[in-house]
Amino acid sequence: MRASGLNPSRIVSDIWRHRYLIGQLIKRDVLLRYRGAMFGVFWIFLSPLLMLAIFAFIFGQVFQTRWPAQNNGPPFWLLLYSGLITFNIFAETVSRAPASVRGYPSYVKKIIFPVHILPVVPLGVALVHGAFNFLILVAALAWVGGLHSHLVLFPLLLLPVLLLALGLSWFVAAWGVFIKDMTQILPVFVQMLMFLSPVFYPISAVPAALRPIYHYNPLGIVIEASRAVVIGQAIDWSAWAMALGFCLVVSVLGYAFFQHSREEFADAL
Amino acid sequence: MHSDVVISVKNLTKTYRIFSHPGDRIKQALTLGRVHFHQEFTALKDVSFEIKKGETVGIIGRNGAGKSTLLQLICGILKATNGTVQANGRIVALLELGAGFNPEFTGRENVYFQGALMGFTKAQMDERFDGIADFAEIGEFMEQPVRTYSSGMFVRLAFSTAMHLTPEILVVDEALAVGDAGFQKKCFDRIDAVRERGGVVLLVSHSMEQIAHHCDRAILLEGGTVAFAGKPTEAIHRYMALFNGPRDQECAIGNVQDFSTDDKLMNRPSYNPAETRWGDRKSTILDACLVQNGIEDPPFLILGVRTELKFWSICHVDSEKLVFGLAIKSRTGAMVLATNSRFLLGPGEPLKQMAGTKLCTSFFFTPFFEPGDYLVSIGVTSEMGTGLLAHDRRYDAIILNLRAPQPNDENSNASLSCRVDVIQAPAAIGR
Repeated sequence: MRASGLNPSRIVSDIWRHRYLIGQLIKRDVLLRYRGAMFGVFWIFLSPLLMLAIFAFIFGQVFQTRWPAQNNGPPFWLLLYSGLITFNIFAETVSRAPASVRGYPSYVKKIIFPVHILPVVPLGVALVHGAFNFLILVAALAWVGGLHSHLVLFPLLLLPVLLLALGLSWFVAAWGVFIKDMTQILPVFVQMLMFLSPVFYPISAVPAALRPIYHYNPLGIVIEASRAVVIGQAIDWSAWAMALGFCLVVSVLGYAFFQHSREEFADAL
Repeated sequence: MHSDVVISVKNLTKTYRIFSHPGDRIKQALTLGRVHFHQEFTALKDVSFEIKKGETVGIIGRNGAGKSTLLQLICGILKATNGTVQANGRIVALLELGAGFNPEFTGRENVYFQGALMGFTKAQMDERFDGIADFAEIGEFMEQPVRTYSSGMFVRLAFSTAMHLTPEILVVDEALAVGDAGFQKKCFDRIDAVRERGGVVLLVSHSMEQIAHHCDRAILLEGGTVAFAGKPTEAIHRYMALFNGPRDQECAIGNVQDFSTDDKLMNRPSYNPAETRWGDRKSTILDACLVQNGIEDPPFLILGVRTELKFWSICHVDSEKLVFGLAIKSRTGAMVLATNSRFLLGPGEPLKQMAGTKLCTSFFFTPFFEPGDYLVSIGVTSEMGTGLLAHDRRYDAIILNLRAPQPNDENSNASLSCRVDVIQAPAAIGR
């Protein structure tokens, strides 16, 4: 493994250099998904809106669920939704990562292409969707009267999750080239992770004996922090900083692993 | 390394590891490569060559000889097992028709995307776009999804885009097999322009005509090694010999005299020094001329007048089933006449000849083409199975200058063979 691959600033400059290409690939991916549909790109807005409506109906009207240890502020379904925004960015990126390189054999074998940016594309697409989800969250919060100035921190708080998703994507994309089963394994893994992360419940609701595990889950820390700004509570910055450090390491290792194994891609595909 | 060396390939070897089961790759990785679960296949063995500025180099060889692997290594798509490749300059590769094109997107979107792939910004592509559209000649289809394109349109767009990305090294793998003669001509003009700018063109083709015509040098690959590198005609000659038995090969390369001896055609006024010539030289063409109104090599031919093309050839070995061919094409590459003795004489007695025989072949035709310059190709071949084995093919060997008949030209019978009537149509027609 070359030492240069472990340099974070090199990763940033490498991605920055190809920003236009990445932008084009993301645009293509997003447009391609909705091309030919009757509502077209409106679905990018429509589908989270429908999901939120269902949440509001089930958890607001049918179950009348309340967030544990919370008396006022946004309703349960909005808190659930805010956690899901964070989680979905991670989930969408990582579940698509195994196919991000494998799905484009001609980019690997037939043209001269910076293959290492391919796993960045699912993250970009997930961020586009995340941005629309966030807009809907802001609108819904304004509607229920829970809009908070802290909310501007929400996108910033996602940084560790983005790094984690990116790092794992590089790992998984490289494995995905050699092991086709990754495309099957990852969605199951992600589903499991959803229930193991505090998306549907706060960490405080977890039995005390298990709680330390949750404190080491960077995904959980970020979800908690982002939910805190929605409610207007204080953020555990030290935990967040630790998560950021951990995720940074994951992304650098993921990048290095990807660059190390890419030489074999063309042979394996 | 000299400064004018653009591509330098040294002791290049590529070995593919072949795993019979995808799990084997993981097993091997888990043992840190100590236990081997794979078989090896060496596609290239110890290949070395250099390509200098302004060269067009053809790469030929049978299927599986390692041509595509070599190109992929030069482009940096594959990693060499051993040896090094150095390429200085922007490489534009057409390894597969339309690779990187997304069928769902329009031609325009794909052009911009191809530009982005090569590191061009939108503004830079804006500058080039009109040129690309003009060159591709696909008109309104530019705004249609690429999946609706015919393969000809597809290759025109792909090639046009590649050519406008100002390559310093252009790599073309068989991509030009599609596309009509006119477009191919345009492409080769662009390829020549790349070369004149000091760029390098690498061309893989199974069309020996293209190799002979456009390459300064050719590399013949056989079984992953360089079997020959040098003059294209020689490379083609050896390549053709690969398809015959070892005895034929020896004969083809050994006993036969060089083309240039006794060649009278070169001294003819209508001779085109830019001709390309190849074949196994079992028979050679000694001389040729055009005859019209009983005059040999007239300064120009008159449209619509019966013309004779005569050529003399000699058999150096006993030959069976000889076939003589004639082709006339315009300067832009459009074929206007192509025929041969097998077609014209029908399936009669084969033209069987003893070694040393000289033959005179005459084709008679009446040129009814647009006035202008045409290039005449002639050839001697033998029928082999369903194909023709080239003994001596001389592409574009003679320049034919065709003129419209002047009122004072004698013997002009153009009006006899072609006629026009202009009459007033009944009122009901044409509504």
